[in-house]
Amino acid sequence: MDLFKAMAEAVIEGDEERTVSLAKEALTKGVPPTEAIEKGFAEGMKEIGRLFDTLEIYLPQVIISADAMTAGVEVFRQHLLGQEEDLPKKTVLLGTIQGDVHDIGKNIVKIMLESNGFKVYDLGRDVPVLNFIEKVKELHPDIVGVSALMTTTMVHMPKLIEALRESGLRANVNIMLGGAPVLPEWAKKIGADGYGASAMEAVRVAKRLAGLQVEEKGEEA
Amino acid sequence: MKDHGTFFDFLEVIRRAESGEGMKEADFDKKLGKKVSALMRQYEIRYHPESVIPSDDGLADRVYQAAVDLFLDLGVYCTDTQRVMLFSKEELTWALEHAPQEVRYGREKEIVSVYPRKVEDPRDPVCFFSAVGTPVPEEMFLPIARSYAQEPLADTFSGPLITSYQGIPVTSGSPVEVEAAIWNTQMLREAARQAGRPHIGIHNFQSTGEKTDATIASAQEKFGAFPGDGLLVAAIAEMKVDFERLKKVAFLRQSPYILGALYGPLMGGYAGGPEGTAIALVAHHFLGLLGFSAERHNSFPIHIHYVCNTTREMLWLISMVGQALARNTHLMIVSNAFMASGPCTEMVIDELCAHSLTSTVSGWHLNPSAVAKNRHPMRCSGMEPRIHAEVGHWVTKMGLSRQEANRIALKLIEGYEKNIPEAPIGKLFHECYRMDQIRPTDEYESLFEKRKKEWREIGLEVI
Repeated sequence: MDLFKAMAEAVIEGDEERTVSLAKEALTKGVPPTEAIEKGFAEGMKEIGRLFDTLEIYLPQVIISADAMTAGVEVFRQHLLGQEEDLPKKTVLLGTIQGDVHDIGKNIVKIMLESNGFKVYDLGRDVPVLNFIEKVKELHPDIVGVSALMTTTMVHMPKLIEALRESGLRANVNIMLGGAPVLPEWAKKIGADGYGASAMEAVRVAKRLAGLQVEEKGEEA
Repeated sequence: MKDHGTFFDFLEVIRRAESGEGMKEADFDKKLGKKVSALMRQYEIRYHPESVIPSDDGLADRVYQAAVDLFLDLGVYCTDTQRVMLFSKEELTWALEHAPQEVRYGREKEIVSVYPRKVEDPRDPVCFFSAVGTPVPEEMFLPIARSYAQEPLADTFSGPLITSYQGIPVTSGSPVEVEAAIWNTQMLREAARQAGRPHIGIHNFQSTGEKTDATIASAQEKFGAFPGDGLLVAAIAEMKVDFERLKKVAFLRQSPYILGALYGPLMGGYAGGPEGTAIALVAHHFLGLLGFSAERHNSFPIHIHYVCNTTREMLWLISMVGQALARNTHLMIVSNAFMASGPCTEMVIDELCAHSLTSTVSGWHLNPSAVAKNRHPMRCSGMEPRIHAEVGHWVTKMGLSRQEANRIALKLIEGYEKNIPEAPIGKLFHECYRMDQIRPTDEYESLFEKRKKEWREIGLEVI
């Protein structure tokens, strides 16, 4: 369908006006929002992810495309307001662990997850273990994603997993780790469910953990 | 004591952090990307993969001018106050004119003078041997640190870090972090003594403790930190600072320790590709000079996916930034080597060579080296900086031009670049060093000798 192709292209070009107008066109034509997003906008973002993976484009272009997609998706969301139907979302609670202020990696993962249809609750940087626990209780995310850049902060990651266990929350949530000093074998050892060495790998792992379709193999913890 | 009159007023920095324009952090990040992109077009700055060490002075000067524009227009973001600190052109010009032209590390016979290098400078680069915070077990800290301090070409040194102390994990902000930080300083000075160089400068005497209180706790002569040693203060992300870093600055300005600023923008990140990241990295030096009162400057730009700076784009970026600063300022700039591969591999020897010759001809001093993407415990040794420093010294002895260095660098890159994504992590310290003598194994030294002979064929005449 040409409309889907145009939607994908608008995302790739980062053309916010066009994603908005194409979303409206899709609604006028009676295309279900979920189908339009999946076959249109998401395809464009998939290509953006591929181009970023190979560094044919850089982060600013990814952000522009992600903003364009968000604007388009917002049209569908507004349309569905007040209706029983809503856009299905898997949720990720994201944060840089206690003591760590380095959050570029986490921010890139956030952009890529949102662009791939996840609802992300970003707790920011230097997030105490107890805050993660409180937010898991409040928001019931499908996945908790945690990053660290320093060896002195990654030691809080096993504490978080243990705290989730003690709170009886561990069985209902997947844990995904990332960050420069975090190695996949260590993530597995401390009981994480997934590990992402890059933003795109984090998306693949998150999709697997959330039970969504995964086209390429992600690294497992 | 330091002459504060040569630096921009630090209290004014704090005032601006508290009173500058409020801005969401995400908006600042986007503004950086847009500004850099526009400046690349305005100044016609283009990366060329066949010219990793460009000989184009005009290009270097345009990168510099673009960075001035970026710094003045964008400013510096303080994450604690979510405000932007702006500086005027007059303030930047004054700070550059008054920036130090010499710092001295070490004591007695080990005093080393750091000076502003020039492009194709015939003088040897100062070599800061560094384990760049590689995680190691407590019992391995001392022998590994010694392997750096004992190297004849080490003008200064620094150490790895420990992740547990006396069986307790070293956690950021905890009491054990302070204990471990003090131990870290003591062990570095002990490593210097064991290496027979008790007065050698330690350019960053704290790598285990990260928080300001732990850093300050360890900064005492009785623990081995003397005038002539130093500490590094890092920008936390592209053009950003926070109060934790500024607290370290407040302390260091009143201390006898040399304040080095540290910048590590991600190529492929918020500033875009090699061109944009080069502009941003030059601008970081203005951040360090005005915001941190930095006496000298360390850069470790890294590839966003491969966590190294030896790819073709990264070497271009390093060369451009070095040339831009060396041609237009008298800042003392130091190039940190980040290798994709690990110890005792042919690949790491070639990466070290490419990085060193690129940096040396482009106006940098040398800070080798993080290896194995700086993330694998125990994969570091004094041998990697030895290789890097030897190459730097050969480059000046040979009087290599940028053009000649470019030709050699391209040959080296062609050999290793395809292996960067899955680079071999190499050997652990005790696998490539004889532990009874703390010397590289015959295997490692032979590997280096073999590569040296082979480098002659590509024009690197090893003495």
